[in-house]
Amino acid sequence: MKFFKRMQELDRRWIYIIIALAIVVPLMIPFDSDNLTTPSTENLYQMIDSFSGREDRAILMSFAHDASTMPELFPMEVAILRHCFERNIKVFTFSNSPLGAPIIDYAINTVKDEYPQIESGVHYCNFGYKPNMFAIVIGMGDNIATTMNVDAEGRKVETLPIMRGITNYTEMNLVVEFSGSVAGGTWIVYARPKFGLNVAVGVTAVMAADQYPYLQSGQLIGMLSGLKGAAEYEKLVDVFATNEQSFSSEKLSDPRIRDLIKITTQSVASFTQTEFTAFLNRYPQQKDLIEKYREEKDGIIQINWSQIPPQHTEQLGFFVMDELQRKANHIKYSFKTARVGMNAQSVAHIVMIVFIILGNLGYFVQKLSDKK
Amino acid sequence: MSFELFSNLIGAFFTLCIFSFLYKDNPLYQMAEQLLVGLSVGYSLVLTYHRVFIPYVYQPIVIRHQFMLIIPFLIGVLYLTRLTRKLSWLSRYPIAFSVMGVGSSFALSLHTAILVQMRQAMVPLESINLTLIFIGTITVLLYFFFSKAHSGTYGKFVNVGKWYMMIGFGASFGLTVMARVSLLIGRIQFLVLDVLGLMK
Repeated sequence: MKFFKRMQELDRRWIYIIIALAIVVPLMIPFDSDNLTTPSTENLYQMIDSFSGREDRAILMSFAHDASTMPELFPMEVAILRHCFERNIKVFTFSNSPLGAPIIDYAINTVKDEYPQIESGVHYCNFGYKPNMFAIVIGMGDNIATTMNVDAEGRKVETLPIMRGITNYTEMNLVVEFSGSVAGGTWIVYARPKFGLNVAVGVTAVMAADQYPYLQSGQLIGMLSGLKGAAEYEKLVDVFATNEQSFSSEKLSDPRIRDLIKITTQSVASFTQTEFTAFLNRYPQQKDLIEKYREEKDGIIQINWSQIPPQHTEQLGFFVMDELQRKANHIKYSFKTARVGMNAQSVAHIVMIVFIILGNLGYFVQKLSDKK
Repeated sequence: MSFELFSNLIGAFFTLCIFSFLYKDNPLYQMAEQLLVGLSVGYSLVLTYHRVFIPYVYQPIVIRHQFMLIIPFLIGVLYLTRLTRKLSWLSRYPIAFSVMGVGSSFALSLHTAILVQMRQAMVPLESINLTLIFIGTITVLLYFFFSKAHSGTYGKFVNVGKWYMMIGFGASFGLTVMARVSLLIGRIQFLVLDVLGLMK
């Protein structure tokens, strides 16, 4: 009785502190949690993946938001860009808001750091900010190069190598719009009925409920909703794209898949003898240095990349370190932001549910005692 | 001190100033709030000047001599007449152009928001989900039919629609909470990762 009374009178600042701790602690101490993927995310992933390696297919990412919704939308954008760069999918980016244009640069640079072979104008093209959304959406149905004219770097779009095989929506057959308000509206209204363009959206959780009717009626081929959607896409990229595998629901339910999506630091790269020989042959100049960190356990060769000091990391170079980290199934922080965030989200939700239950119990217990 | 560290420290300071409101209203919070409003306006203004005015007004008209663009530019400038009471009526012209755009989308919007949705609601009731959607659509529509009193059997039937709406509002509220927590997570990730470098 006394407990419930005290709970009812609890200062709100204690609740703030508890919620803050529920978020800070899981962020600072990451743990491996699974994140079940939903059909709306899987459909989008599969559609983008079906464009892999094709010169006559591309996707367009429309950044229709500003910095205020970045915590939810930015991880989605990074995950999709990473998927495209990983699987050799042509990607165009554009924003109909001047405030969205700097976010495109930020997203591309975040991913490009890990993919030095990716070139602007060849693998991706940033159109930057373009005003007059209606004219853009309808114009691209006819010809993308003449509608966009120049890219964000001032180059004529029609002269860029990425445009080989790409004319209009027949080739650039998917647009993914990211927005903190109504997403995909213009594309669904103007481009889908007229040109048959496939539309998908990445929205904040607040707006997800508004988008479900379009998803259910098939006007959206996929949707990423909030941090959860971003975390799901990150997972699919780690499971399939980085391992050069095609999507399969069966593989997702395979327990071994858990090793590919661990968000804690994975530092041991394991090789069979043949794999290790092939690895050394790829980097003959760094052979001696690699051998220095080699350890053998039960016929398996292991290298703990986290034990390599910074001066040797530099000597080994980006490609060797990247391959070691990939072999260890280590995921860089910028590619698991949403999943680390979802850990905190889960703990915060549990705490909130406990507070709601306690608050309600306290209310009814007090009401009962007042009656008596 | 590098620029990145300096900008992160400023960001961290103002984030904490905003968070201080959770304890109680204070001058640091008010300062951060006023600065946010001022900076947002200034940032938008400069960005619009560089990314809109220069490439789409100045360069085409002054450098490439596309003088036809002066007409839409002048129509756009009429928006600024809102600032004077005497000439504010002129701002109705650019608004009229914008409304024309809305009108042109009417037919296609009807297709997207009503016809396709109706088509998807008129499907054989082959599963429990489709049956639930059917019942929900009918009862919610009837709930907003006010020419008949919500009493008796009819009242009980339309009450089902109210429950459907309550569940919908609950889902929306849950998603809103999730979105707000995500924003908090984003800020704390910034403080812990970018500023303190405690996450790897």
